[in-house]
Amino acid sequence: MSRERFSRQSFLGRDSEERIARCTVGVAGLGGGGSHIIQQLAHIGFQRYVVYDGDVVEESNLNRLVGARSVDVPAQTPKLHIARMMIYGLQPNASVRGCAGRWQDNPEPLRECQIVFGCVDSYQGRHELEVACRRYLMHYIDIGMDVHGGAPPVIGGQVILSSAGSLCMRCMGFLTEAKLAEEAARYGGAGARPQVVWPNGVLASTAVGLAVDIVTNWTRRALPYAYLVYDGNQGTVKESATLRNLKITACPHFSNSDVGDPVLLEL
Amino acid sequence: MSISIKLTGGLHREMVTDLARPHPFAAERAGFAFGRVGSLSNESKVILLCLYHSIPDNQYVDDPTVGARIGSEAITWAMQAVYYGRPGREGIFHVHMHPHGGRTGMSGVDRRELPRLMPGFQAVGRDAAHGIIILSLDHGAGWVWLPGSKEPVAASTVSVIGKPLRVFEKGVGR
Repeated sequence: MSRERFSRQSFLGRDSEERIARCTVGVAGLGGGGSHIIQQLAHIGFQRYVVYDGDVVEESNLNRLVGARSVDVPAQTPKLHIARMMIYGLQPNASVRGCAGRWQDNPEPLRECQIVFGCVDSYQGRHELEVACRRYLMHYIDIGMDVHGGAPPVIGGQVILSSAGSLCMRCMGFLTEAKLAEEAARYGGAGARPQVVWPNGVLASTAVGLAVDIVTNWTRRALPYAYLVYDGNQGTVKESATLRNLKITACPHFSNSDVGDPVLLEL
Repeated sequence: MSISIKLTGGLHREMVTDLARPHPFAAERAGFAFGRVGSLSNESKVILLCLYHSIPDNQYVDDPTVGARIGSEAITWAMQAVYYGRPGREGIFHVHMHPHGGRTGMSGVDRRELPRLMPGFQAVGRDAAHGIIILSLDHGAGWVWLPGSKEPVAASTVSVIGKPLRVFEKGVGR
C-alpha cells in the first residue's frame, strides 16, 4: 500500500495502517447507515469485513443508500453487491465475507470480528446484536435515527458504544423493557420509519470515528462506553444526559463469564 | 480449521500487571486464565478468555534452572478449577510473559515443560479446550488443545478487545 495514500491520516499513529488493516469489522445492515459506514471504513483502510444484508435496492432506498444508482432498482441489485463494490473500489485486496440475510441466520462469521456496527431498525435487533457481541467479545457500535412529531418534525438519533466488561445499552438507559415490550406488541416490526441521508451520514461518521479511536487510540482517552445523542434540528451531537446521572459503574446485565457457545447445564 | 483467542482489554491488563510483578526468587511469574470455546465458520473455533488467576508467591518452587516453576499446590488448584468448570466446559490456560517487545513464542523450556500439563487438564475437563498463552510486552501467542486432541493448534490471532484494540497475528510483528 502506498504511503502517500494515508499521508493525510498519519496523525493516527505510526503503525495505524497495520492496526486498521488487522482489525475485522462487521456491519449488520447495509442500508442508509450501513452504506455510509462501509464507505468510510474502506476509505480509512480497513481490509477485513463481515457484512450482512438480504435486501435488494428499492426505489425508496435511493434517497440515502450510498453507492446505489437508479439502475440498481430495476436490476434488483443486492445491497451486499453495492457494499462489495464500494469496498473493492477503494481496497482491491480487501477480504469481504458477505452474507445475504440476517446475521442471526448465519452468526458464525460475525464472531470473527473485533468491532461490529449495528445498523438495524428494531430495539430487539439491537439487543440481540449486543448479546452476541458480549458473548463473543466484540466491541458493539450501534447507530439509529428516527423522526418524531409534526410541526416541525424532530430528527433524533444515537451512537452507542457497548464493550465487554463495561456498561451496556440497558445500563445507559437506551434499551428498556418498556421499549422492547412496546415493539413486541407491534409484532417486532419497527415500521417504515422516515430516513434521510444526512443524519445517517452524521451518525455513521460518529460511529466510524469511535471505531478508529478504539483501533488506533489516537485520542489517548479512555473509552469504556459511549452514548452520543444526535439532535438533527439543532445539528448537534452531544453525550447523553443519561450518562451524567448514571449511578452504576459496573454492568449488572452481562457477566464476564457468559462467553462462548451456550452450554446446557445438567440439573 | 483455525483457532483464535480473544480477551478483553481489562483482562489483558490484569494479566500483564500480575505477571510483571517481581517474585521473591523466581525470575518470572505464571498464572492461569479460564476460557470457553465459541464456534466459527468452517469448524474454526475462538477461545474466549473470561477470568485470570494469579498464582500466590508461596506456590512457586525455587528452581534456578528455569524462569519459574510452580509447585504441586498450584497444579492441584488448577485441576480443581478445571473440575469445577466442567459444567460450563471452561478450560484452563497456562499464562506467562516474556519480558521483551515484539513477537513471542515458546522457549525450549516452555516446549519441554508446559505441554506436559495438558493431559492432566484434559483428563479432568475432557469437554473443554485448554492451552498455553505467552505474552510479550506488546504481543502474544497461544496454543490450544481442543477436546480430545493430543496435539495443539497455534492460535492464528490473539485479540485484545479493549482500547487500544490489539490483534496479535501469528508470525506477524517485530
